[in-house]
Amino acid sequence: MNSKLSCSRWWFPRETEFLESWPSLAALAFSLLAFAAPARAGDAPAWMHALMNVLPPEHDEKTDAVLLYSEKVVTVQSVDKIKITVREAYRILRPGGREYGTLVIPYNSHQKITAMRGWCIPAQGKDYEVKDKEAMEISLPKIEGSELITDVKDKLLHIPAADPGNIVGYEYEKEDQPFVLQDIWRFQQESPVREARYSLILPSSWEYKVTWMNYPEVKPVESGNQSQWVVSQINGIRHEDSMPPWQGVAGQMIVSFVPPGGSAQSRGFQNWKEMGIWYQALTSGRRDASPELKQKVASLASSSGTLVEKMKALANFAQRDIRYVAIELGIGGWQPHSAAEVFTHHYGDCKDKATLMGAMLHEINIDSYYVVVNSERGSVTRETPAHKDDFDHVIIAIKLPDGIADSSLMATMAHPKLGKLLFFDPTDELTPFGQLSGALQANYGLLVAPDGGELVESPALPSAMNGIRRTAKLSLTPAGTLTGDVQEIRVGDRAWAQRWALRTVTKDTDKIKPIETLLSRSLATFQITKASVGNLQSTDLPFIYNYSVMAQNYAKTAGNLLLVRPRFVGNKSSDLLETKEPRKYPVEFDGPSRDTDTFEIALPAGYEVDDLPPPVDADCGFASYHSKTEVNGSTLKYTRTFEVKELSVPVSKVEDLKKLYRIIASDERNTAVLKPASH
Amino acid sequence: MRSSRLLSVVVILLASVAVLCCAPVRAGDEWLPITLEELKMTSEPKAPGAPAIILYRQIDRDDSDARTPHEYNYVRTKILTEEGRKYADVEIPFFKENENIVSVRARTIRPDGAIVNFDGKVYEKEIVKARGVKFLAKTFTLSDVQPGSIIEYHYTVDFKEYYVFNSHWTLSEELFTKLGKYTLKPYAQFALQWTWPNGLPEGTAPPAQQNDARGNFIRMEARDIPAFQVEDDMPPANAMKYMVDFIYADGDLEKDPEKFWKKRGKKLYDQTEGFVGKRKAMEEAVAQIVSPNDPPQTKLQKIYAKTQSIKNTSYQIERSEQEQKRSKEKEVGNVEEVLKRGYGDGDQITWLFLGLARAAGFEASPVIMSTREDHFFRKNLMNGRDLHTNIVQVKLDGKEMYLDPGAAFTPFGMLPWTETETPGLKLDKDGGTWVTPPCPDSSASKIVRKAVMKLNKEGTLEGKLTVTFSGLEAAWRRAKERNQDEVHKKKMLEDYVQEMVPVGINVELTSKPDWASSSPDFVAEYTLEVPGWVSGAGRRALMPMGLFSAPEKHVYEHSTRVHPLYFQFAHQKLDDIQIELPPGWQVSSLPQPVTQDAKLVVYISKAENKNGALHLERHLTVDLISLDQKYYPTLRNFYQLVKNADEQQIVLQPMVVSSRN
Repeated sequence: MNSKLSCSRWWFPRETEFLESWPSLAALAFSLLAFAAPARAGDAPAWMHALMNVLPPEHDEKTDAVLLYSEKVVTVQSVDKIKITVREAYRILRPGGREYGTLVIPYNSHQKITAMRGWCIPAQGKDYEVKDKEAMEISLPKIEGSELITDVKDKLLHIPAADPGNIVGYEYEKEDQPFVLQDIWRFQQESPVREARYSLILPSSWEYKVTWMNYPEVKPVESGNQSQWVVSQINGIRHEDSMPPWQGVAGQMIVSFVPPGGSAQSRGFQNWKEMGIWYQALTSGRRDASPELKQKVASLASSSGTLVEKMKALANFAQRDIRYVAIELGIGGWQPHSAAEVFTHHYGDCKDKATLMGAMLHEINIDSYYVVVNSERGSVTRETPAHKDDFDHVIIAIKLPDGIADSSLMATMAHPKLGKLLFFDPTDELTPFGQLSGALQANYGLLVAPDGGELVESPALPSAMNGIRRTAKLSLTPAGTLTGDVQEIRVGDRAWAQRWALRTVTKDTDKIKPIETLLSRSLATFQITKASVGNLQSTDLPFIYNYSVMAQNYAKTAGNLLLVRPRFVGNKSSDLLETKEPRKYPVEFDGPSRDTDTFEIALPAGYEVDDLPPPVDADCGFASYHSKTEVNGSTLKYTRTFEVKELSVPVSKVEDLKKLYRIIASDERNTAVLKPASH
Repeated sequence: MRSSRLLSVVVILLASVAVLCCAPVRAGDEWLPITLEELKMTSEPKAPGAPAIILYRQIDRDDSDARTPHEYNYVRTKILTEEGRKYADVEIPFFKENENIVSVRARTIRPDGAIVNFDGKVYEKEIVKARGVKFLAKTFTLSDVQPGSIIEYHYTVDFKEYYVFNSHWTLSEELFTKLGKYTLKPYAQFALQWTWPNGLPEGTAPPAQQNDARGNFIRMEARDIPAFQVEDDMPPANAMKYMVDFIYADGDLEKDPEKFWKKRGKKLYDQTEGFVGKRKAMEEAVAQIVSPNDPPQTKLQKIYAKTQSIKNTSYQIERSEQEQKRSKEKEVGNVEEVLKRGYGDGDQITWLFLGLARAAGFEASPVIMSTREDHFFRKNLMNGRDLHTNIVQVKLDGKEMYLDPGAAFTPFGMLPWTETETPGLKLDKDGGTWVTPPCPDSSASKIVRKAVMKLNKEGTLEGKLTVTFSGLEAAWRRAKERNQDEVHKKKMLEDYVQEMVPVGINVELTSKPDWASSSPDFVAEYTLEVPGWVSGAGRRALMPMGLFSAPEKHVYEHSTRVHPLYFQFAHQKLDDIQIELPPGWQVSSLPQPVTQDAKLVVYISKAENKNGALHLERHLTVDLISLDQKYYPTLRNFYQLVKNADEQQIVLQPMVVSSRN
């Protein structure tokens, strides 16, 4: 369940969760469970016993558990009340599957868990039973970047003896006062599934609409006002590094419940337009400016010249002066606080900041629109139907007045009705106005336009807008010591990352650490003799590192030869695909990027080049790598460019990517050979 | 006359002011005055680069009336950077059963001095709510916080009636503290002692008792308390943070540590002998375990193996109460029952060993140990719970040795690292004597990596690898994986090799290692492929020396260090690699042998060309447990030289194909 728009990176892919995160909280929870009195033993229900001899779904030796049976019954009683009952049973296959013995059900103040029981059928011996009085409730303690205050909690039940060979199962009932008349059936998960059922019971005259994602449509069996869908033999999804987000690959069915008279009037939507209307209603009046806010806008705008400068001043205020704090209770997970309130407190979450920004822009006669997105590209795709649960972030689209031609405003799209829109994230204080972080580029989101919503793809910036331009002028001594000056110019997410690293540094002496870390990846011995940081706070300018370095024994001696690696620092290769398992999912890049290195090494007197590494020219379409080592007089010059041109590499091309990474790794280790000069 | 009266008034006024200055701030006083200096401050020279600092911290604990124990807290923080604004989000955790947070007040002082009183809601968050237990947090956030702002809040923790317990002042916080004032008004019915195990900030006078009209106080003031920083390879945080611990004692407090531990030792000795003293049963058992003709060491080893073979419940997965009830495992009362029932926890198994060893005629003594993974033991703290585990001292052929068969998988002759280099009390009827079991030197815990490889023309290494983990290197791996299945164990061993080689590899475990025993050696065999290990240099090919050098590539990257270095145990890594070259390839040059001997850390690397095949050796010996921070540059320099030697290149000459062919 993802019920909040708070930029939270926490995403809960299943209706029912298991305690995989929050280790310290889990430890506390388990220690507290020791206080709970044991429930009396009782037999597991017949539906679980019926599973004892069923064949498990196809799985391999690394599978921790298989879901033998899952049943979700959703009974819509009215627009205000939905009853959900769930029963599930897993067979534990490996020690890692023990986590399936800890059931965690998320809920909020509009939901009530009315019943909860769990059982274990051990391979030998009597069944175990636990009831809801043994459950505990937990909520997230303060964690940086998450909600400070929220009404979302988890109810947790520990089922005994969740050991390999045993079956654990549970039933629970939940009553929901829904904000939106929708549900998602997430039938594909980490564990392979033998059989999963979803039943929908609607009041008479209600209708439903379903959309299948990442799985072929299955027709329901209809019986009176009940519809039932059944899927079976579903593969598990095993995590791969840099894979698309779970929502983008897992089979799921999205259901909209439509009361008589349609959905728009009663907390429902069946398309993006209706969802936009719903969100508009939710935010109505929230962008009205208070006198104090108007005064602040006037002050900010008056100190700026052009309209773009005025916008930048407002953007800077929203990004930097408004502290990120998420307080989300009830509908507050979706509904922003008013702009006046956000301004008064000087804090708010992403939707609050977007609201304030919209209100301020309105004061200088510029229209803007909410854009509801997921902070991870690929969670929402072109095929995703209108629903709310896969979004976790709000940004803003600013309608640029005609005639504005400012090259710094890059993250734009031409909307057929609204004109030129600039996408801007007021929460991201390290990405300047005019740009967008990589994760939000080419990402699908709900544009809340005046006449309703629509799903739009955010702009992708040119690869040159994100990269490192590293240049070094160095000189080598006959003893192999390399000294010289290095400059790194970083833009886009590459700049963002360094600013973030330095922002969280708590001591001046630690500011050099990111450089030390970088150099230690490439140099055995080094000393930084001088270092400075440029444009740390000026996010609209490139971030710059200047440093001087001395690396003893950089060149290795071999007889009378000197071996010099032309690639001085920086690693572009990756062992991401050096795995035994064949890749199952595409590889996702953070964003388009273009990194260049130019290293010039003045050779020691008395030496000349005997051998040079060959040039490399590799282009896979989605990415390219070019490097060259050459001699200019007594200088060894190494240049290379690594460019990521597409955001995703399909499975059919991952072997190309693996080869590319190996080519890069080889080039990075290549060596030039110097010999004593012959004259 | 007049002047004398005036003088009296002034004296009274001054005395009042003095009392006010010393008196703890209370809700009635509300806020301390803000100075201009505090408002204008943009940085703190003693904490350069800090995002925020605590200007003032006050803790006033009052246990004096057991019906109303409470603690008053006051925090004033200066925000120095945007990042520092996060300290305006405040969460105060508490257990509902025993305490409550009341009278929370907060405010923001803008850089211009304007005050924004907190008028928002203080939320009560249920972090964990279970049967009869509620762990909550009072949570709030302050408004209008910018760099330059001062935020401050105060609150009182009200404890349950008669909830008087050992407490402490934690001086080291996440932020630098400019001034901290701490008081404790103790409960008079208990004796109280207080200690500061890790010292006090520079220039801080120790806590002092003070009696005045308001009662009996322990009071301390500290200035310029550094922010606590976490680093890799540092001692446990509890051994590094400045804190003052208060311990109440019911009855007369023993002030002499020697007497305290003697008394404690006698009590523990009686308990232990009560548990172990089943001489007849032990003699019968030992007759089944050893043969009268066995040499003493063999006897002891057999007893050790027997006790380690008993089901050790300390190493089982934690069971729910239902499962425990059903397993019908009863609490054992003595060593005979441990033997009869075939199970016991780690402590009981160690005492069984003691009983059997004595029955076999060995001179053996119980030792109650401290451990060093969480904090360092200090006798003068007189905290009885600090000695919380047990080992046995045995005399074998006139030499004392320490054994702990209750620590599963620990080889005979060794102790888990946590029980070495830390004091224990060898118990006897008089209380006991202190012993410190040594950490075995590096030769006792080795990783030997032996590889027989072939290089192909594409520059890929292929062959077989045998890794032998010995001593503590074997023990911790076995213990860690004890409840995992074969698939997980295989992955763990393959991941180990992946992490050793600095490039991407293909590795497959081919053997079935002995996970179950505590034999000193634990052997894993693999097939190994290292694509592209040899790099190009025009007509030549280059091969780096350090095939298993990846872990040393990323140690001690940074030039500065705050804390001392601290390690678990001494160890060695020994590599022996043979590489057969492709037909026609020749070795053009070999790097010079390297020996870096820094006494406690030693590195040796050499390469030989043996009839067209390469033989590479690499030894890294670490005989360090702890190292003062001032030696960090030396250690860092040593590892830089290690990295440098690992990057030395062997120059190979691939077979030259004549252009005429």
